[in-house]
Amino acid sequence: MNDGREELDDLREAVREFLAAKSPETAVRAAMETGHDPAVWDQMARQLRLPGLALPADYGGDGFGLTELEVVLEEMGAALLCSPFFGTVVLAAQTLLAANDKAACERYLPGIAAGETIATLAVAESSGSWDPAGIATRAERTADGWALTGEKSFVVDGSIAGLVLLVAQAPAGPALFAVDGGAPGLRAEPMTALDPTRPLAALTLDGVPGELIGAEGEGGRMLSQVLDVACVALAAEQAGGARRCLEMSAEYARTRFQFGRAIGTFQAIKHKCADMLARVELAEAAAREAARLADEAAADFPVAAATAHICSSRAYMFAAAENIQVHGGIGFTWEHPAHLYFRRAKSSELLFGGPAVYHERLLARLGI
Amino acid sequence: MPDDVKEFARQAREFLDAHATRAEQAEFRWGQGEDTVAYFNADPPDVKDVKLHAAKDWQRTRYENGFGWISGPPEYGGQGLTPVHELIYNSIEAEYDVPDTGTLSVIGLGMIGPTILAHGQQAIKDRYLPALYRGDIIACQLFSEPGAGSDLAGLQTRAVPDGEEWVLDGQKVWTSIARQSQIGMALCRTDVNAPKHKGITAFLIDMSAPGVDVRPLRQMTGGSDFNEVFLTGVRVPDDHRLGEVNAGWRVAVTTLMNERATVGGERGGTVAEALAPERLAALMRATGTLNDGALRRDLSELLADLLAAGHLNRRAVRAMQAGVTPGPERSVAKLMHAQNLTRAAHFVSEVLGPRIIADTGEWGTYAWAELLLATPALRILGGTEEVMKNILAERVLRLPKEPGIDSTSPFRELPRSGKAAS
Repeated sequence: MNDGREELDDLREAVREFLAAKSPETAVRAAMETGHDPAVWDQMARQLRLPGLALPADYGGDGFGLTELEVVLEEMGAALLCSPFFGTVVLAAQTLLAANDKAACERYLPGIAAGETIATLAVAESSGSWDPAGIATRAERTADGWALTGEKSFVVDGSIAGLVLLVAQAPAGPALFAVDGGAPGLRAEPMTALDPTRPLAALTLDGVPGELIGAEGEGGRMLSQVLDVACVALAAEQAGGARRCLEMSAEYARTRFQFGRAIGTFQAIKHKCADMLARVELAEAAAREAARLADEAAADFPVAAATAHICSSRAYMFAAAENIQVHGGIGFTWEHPAHLYFRRAKSSELLFGGPAVYHERLLARLGI
Repeated sequence: MPDDVKEFARQAREFLDAHATRAEQAEFRWGQGEDTVAYFNADPPDVKDVKLHAAKDWQRTRYENGFGWISGPPEYGGQGLTPVHELIYNSIEAEYDVPDTGTLSVIGLGMIGPTILAHGQQAIKDRYLPALYRGDIIACQLFSEPGAGSDLAGLQTRAVPDGEEWVLDGQKVWTSIARQSQIGMALCRTDVNAPKHKGITAFLIDMSAPGVDVRPLRQMTGGSDFNEVFLTGVRVPDDHRLGEVNAGWRVAVTTLMNERATVGGERGGTVAEALAPERLAALMRATGTLNDGALRRDLSELLADLLAAGHLNRRAVRAMQAGVTPGPERSVAKLMHAQNLTRAAHFVSEVLGPRIIADTGEWGTYAWAELLLATPALRILGGTEEVMKNILAERVLRLPKEPGIDSTSPFRELPRSGKAAS
């Protein structure tokens, strides 16, 4: 249910139409093999101005909020769009904004808004944890700046990013650094990913020159802030993907006949679909409401963000698994798209640490 | 907010300031204050009576000051404003300490009133609508029967015409507030030769008429919130008929749409308060379980669902305020409400351990037993979970209906609902 805002419906319609044309299943499968299509990225920036949609006008953006971005991400998640959008526009751009570093924003955000820069944020290492306390990558002062040494894993679009934002341990605590994707001493290796629609890379840094962004020791605070926004953005993608799984199941239940009747006439299937619907509605409400609260700078936004991440993770995993069940054997084949959603659902659930982490995050945000 | 709405809100505050006191937002402290966690009214009869009087008085005060039926038409005592004004008034009133008017409002004002307005004959509208919304009378819903639960259209209570009157015979069940009600809305079979949905007629009956026998049912919580209502030769004037003869199903749909809107809504009261995150955390602290990893995870799972259900309800309210009519997806809220409360009660029982199987006298522990015992009802009342899921699947997801459910043969030829012959 929308809340009666027609301009959001128009935005959704425009993005949906674009993705139907540019990211059909054939395109998704091609991108899984060869990476995202730069022409589509270019069109998203030039025709739809999506990378800059929610960036401040001061930095070349259109100044909309997370509410609008949330709509776009729902549609991207539904279409399984293979694109550096999440890494660039959500992770990297939001980190720059959270860093309180005007000079860095002026330097990097206009390129992101214009679709000229592909960027990402590298935090997790081999354990996959986003807890700044566990970061081993070191930042050391050099004569003309900083040198970074260590390893990063699970870096979204890490192989293609021209700008890598990276959290490392500086003498005064975790801090954020900007690294050029082609910098000497930086090596990026694609990881074999459960979900090939979202490429992940492992980075090795050997004295890589980095530029300090924001204040030294501020990395933990920034990360906490960025994760709230990123959780909502991811929840939007997840809610969109879950909704698509539900639509696929309902369509199949209407048209697949066994025992001389549509399988959707059986209550076993009906109730499965109704359970999916309930989860999807809840996930959507949680993601959309969290986005609204972010735009209002409401005090309970962090709680809403953690709630959205939990509800959407659960809804997507549930819908993706049940979608295969509703389809039966055909849903288990490589050719059927159901497994692509299953893969995305699982990788999204665990990208920021998974249930073991996100439940404690919600309780922490509630002060429990 | 448009200016006229602002002015309305100002008037509402002025009225409430003059007639009620602001609710004290006392900080919650473990062991202090009320520890009741009751879904059903657990008060003793004399307390119930006092509260019912207070509720009726408050409804009258609202009515006399123009807040008793905000969205109702002026010719029947309403203010002719919109549901948005009603939502705004309710949200403002929630800031004040006022009597709980649920006994009047949930069924009578929320469901039967709108049905009378939509389907009642002129004399009936004139006579009952102002009385209902002034708090003079209470209405109940006589729908379910021993043989017609989920299959409501299989109902068998007969209404036979006799001159200008109808004679009703049959049995109704699960009737909330029947003992407090002066009128009841009854669905009756008026044509056994028509298909089952097309031989039903709706009537408004006088609950004090000869032949109306109300008997309380004791439910598994120990309380008596429901009743059986026996109708034996009850005479009802034809002007008390709602809608056309044999068009009662349409009338019932009006009522049920309003029921689902009500039951799925956010409900305040002791249950909502007890399920607030800080209250559940306090309970875990008091029982020494706050650091139990398994319970912490259960708590988070539960809170995420409770918080998200709150978001769902607030979004529905905002959509209504923007003029969007809520669709059948509102059934999701009802489904989640029942599931969340059920999970909450079982979560709390795990936190309490043996303290919920016997009363140690400790504050805030055994008090949860009432909610625990009430939860099975939540998945049944207002449409069972299974029926709600069928509605979601068929009306929202457009899945085909189950074949073999006969909705075209004459009612008398259908196999009878109820208990299987053995």
